[in-house]
Amino acid sequence: MHASLPARASDEQPLAPSPAGRPAPGGVQGGGDGLPPAPAWAGQDWDIVVVGGGNAALASAMAAEDLGARVLILERSPRHMRGGNSRHTRNIRCMHEANEFNSGAYTFDELWDDLCHVGDGPNDEALARFTVSDSATIPDWMYAHGARWQQPLAGTLHLGRTNRFFLGGGKALLNSYYRYARTRPDITVAYDAKVEEFELTGTNCRAVVASVDGRRVRVRTRAVICASGGYEANLDWLRRFWGDAVDNYIIRGTPYNDGHVLAWLYEAGAAQAGQERGFHAIALDARSPRFDGGIATRLDTIPFGIVINASGQRFYDEGEDVWPKRYAIWGRNIAEQPGQIATSLWDAKVSRLFLPPMYGVTQAGDIGTLAARLGLDPGAVSKTVAEYNAAVVDGSFDPAVLDNCRTEGLRPPKSHWAQRLDQPPYSGIAMRPGITFTYMGVAVDKDARVRHTDGSVFRNIFAAGEIMSGNVLSTGYLAGFGMTIGSVWGRQAGTQAARHVRG
Amino acid sequence: MSAVSPRPGQPPAPDGRTSLQVLVDEAARQLTICNACRYCEGLCAVFPALERRSLLDTGDVSQLSNLCHDCRACYDACMYTAPHEFELNVPKTLAAVRVADYQRYLWPRRVPKVFRGWAGVAAGAAFSAALVLSIAVTHGGWGRLTATTDRAESPYVFIPYPVLIGLMLAAAVFAVAVAGLAGRRYWVAVGGPGRHVGAGAVGRAVWYAATLRYLRGGGVDCYYPEDDRPSGARRGLHALVAYGFGLCIVSTAAAAVLQDLAGQPPPYPWLSVPVISGTAGGIGLLTGCAGLLGLKARSSGVTSFAQMTVKDYGLLTALAFLALSGLATLLTRSTAAFGMVFLIHLSSVILAFASAPYSKFMHVVFRFLALVRDNAEIAGR
Repeated sequence: MHASLPARASDEQPLAPSPAGRPAPGGVQGGGDGLPPAPAWAGQDWDIVVVGGGNAALASAMAAEDLGARVLILERSPRHMRGGNSRHTRNIRCMHEANEFNSGAYTFDELWDDLCHVGDGPNDEALARFTVSDSATIPDWMYAHGARWQQPLAGTLHLGRTNRFFLGGGKALLNSYYRYARTRPDITVAYDAKVEEFELTGTNCRAVVASVDGRRVRVRTRAVICASGGYEANLDWLRRFWGDAVDNYIIRGTPYNDGHVLAWLYEAGAAQAGQERGFHAIALDARSPRFDGGIATRLDTIPFGIVINASGQRFYDEGEDVWPKRYAIWGRNIAEQPGQIATSLWDAKVSRLFLPPMYGVTQAGDIGTLAARLGLDPGAVSKTVAEYNAAVVDGSFDPAVLDNCRTEGLRPPKSHWAQRLDQPPYSGIAMRPGITFTYMGVAVDKDARVRHTDGSVFRNIFAAGEIMSGNVLSTGYLAGFGMTIGSVWGRQAGTQAARHVRG
Repeated sequence: MSAVSPRPGQPPAPDGRTSLQVLVDEAARQLTICNACRYCEGLCAVFPALERRSLLDTGDVSQLSNLCHDCRACYDACMYTAPHEFELNVPKTLAAVRVADYQRYLWPRRVPKVFRGWAGVAAGAAFSAALVLSIAVTHGGWGRLTATTDRAESPYVFIPYPVLIGLMLAAAVFAVAVAGLAGRRYWVAVGGPGRHVGAGAVGRAVWYAATLRYLRGGGVDCYYPEDDRPSGARRGLHALVAYGFGLCIVSTAAAAVLQDLAGQPPPYPWLSVPVISGTAGGIGLLTGCAGLLGLKARSSGVTSFAQMTVKDYGLLTALAFLALSGLATLLTRSTAAFGMVFLIHLSSVILAFASAPYSKFMHVVFRFLALVRDNAEIAGR
């Protein structure tokens, strides 16, 4: 299925407008060609068409339906892959009072402060402030639409106070939303429906053209919400910014996020928000599937040992800060190394301190043999480990805090959790950069309307979720905040689109 | 899912592993991915128990499998089900391990061929029926068995009381001995001995079993019979079966008390403890079994393991038949049919006892021990 992705979304020219005044009966073009009959939804007039099938898409559809709008969801993927990258998520970060699902309160100021301290801080301050304040009512709103929460447990990555965990994770959440949608007569979901283009009159969208079962279908609508995700699965688009290094990138999420709708919006004059090279990327097991490996192939071994590149050299402080604050730096760190590969090394005394890697580990009784088994130069690796061991100063090791185990006189240093690699068996795993999502998207106004480069807005085209996350985030990331953006802006886009339709 | 098709009793895999080892390795492969993901940890006891383990041995896989109550919530939540290349199907794989467990902890490990499958049930039924019929005919003759009557009959006119007690005791002692031995073997396999088991752990296990806690999934009920529509139907019907069965035991015990301690031999009036509890229990058991059979016929094949489904049908059909024949003895006890109906019910009960350890009935033993083991583990942390 991966091979069938369009080679390059931006190369696909928007198709020529259909001959004016000649839509086939039922809004279907083509026909009489032996293809299956056009779906029933194609021949109807819709209040709102939602493009996408993840968290932001469902939130916007449910919010619009709450206000009485008739909504058609066009999900690009087949049913079993529905939900975009939301199916790989697990929690959401909202401001809240103390409650039974969080271990304490999390105020506006605290969440705002956390948001300002990741990367370069929020991109559009007004939109970011709205995201934080509006998040307060999101959990109850989600519950009312079918979401269920997990009770706080010990193993939830130190996020138990700030983040709510979906019972069963993101796919379970999306399944609950789809079940809710099934009970609503005014929400219709179509799968395998790829939106190709919009028909515009000025900045007003009259209809959406999609391809379904090999035929082009024209759907008349009074508003459109684009919740179709980022473009991280479009390797050729990434290549423009990253060069051939992308051949060594792993895409953690859905292979369907090729950014086709985003590219189409740019061509139609939509303003850009978010940086071209902005993405969220972490260290993954190099044996991960190229697409859709999700959470299970990540590695949490880095702070417990050292990380070396293909030449056997260390290149970044493995103990810079606590792991939940630093894990998202390592995707980029590895992306900047030769061949976009690095190896995590550790010894026996720390081997039970992290989640067991799903593909297993490479082990040996001494560093040289381990290096050889990992395809690295034994001499170079042994020298690096010896230099590191010599630089470690004794301290009291404590993985729960910023401890005083560090190196002295080493470049780069290891600032915390530095212990000598001296207890066999030694273990190692090769790592690649794993891209979670991209930030570059379309700019929106406070009502989630897509902005035009000429300073106006598209009258009835809205955007929510990953496709507009660059309005809120610039470079860094806060765990669980992507779902906050999707929920807040999905609800906002659905609400504003419904108001637009009702006049 | 060819991965779970290797079955105990089949020839070893080409690489020399036994079929059980192939199954355990596949379960361990899947659970290792689960342990790297952990999204399901809020759903049931299986995933937190998995998080307390890093390398899984055969006993661990056995314990996790019997802790699983097949609610299928994890399959609904899983991003890695086929066609994803990780091909996770935890409910089906753990069911396959349980089928192997239901066999490998039993004595004899291989049931004589004549007693296997539906033909085996028929053979057992014929043997049991022939036994009670020959006793009845020897005792009172054909005439007594089919004589017309105008009042409720005592069953002892067909089978003398000491013989009846002897037959039932023999079957029951056999069942308890075999089930107890299997439970003991399970307990050893999952590393139970040597671990402190407090009253609290046992109490929680009893409460979780009595409330069918893990048939709630993570609180949203079983994804059963449909895989995209959580429903409390399975839990409700299972409660009817369990408590209906319990009431039937109460009925039997009450009758024994009335007869042996209060000196009141059967038959008992309609408004008596044995008749009321037996009737309520029988109706509950019958309704529950019929309902579960109906759900099973409609349930998704994706998460079902075929051999387990056969075992489910077997137990549900047997319990429904027991309930039906028991109710029939009550309804016919003033008619000429009573003698034959009573013998049919009696021979069914004897057969049920003798075959219970080789049936899905053993889930009661293994699941309960798994709950005890799990709660002892949690308490010991």
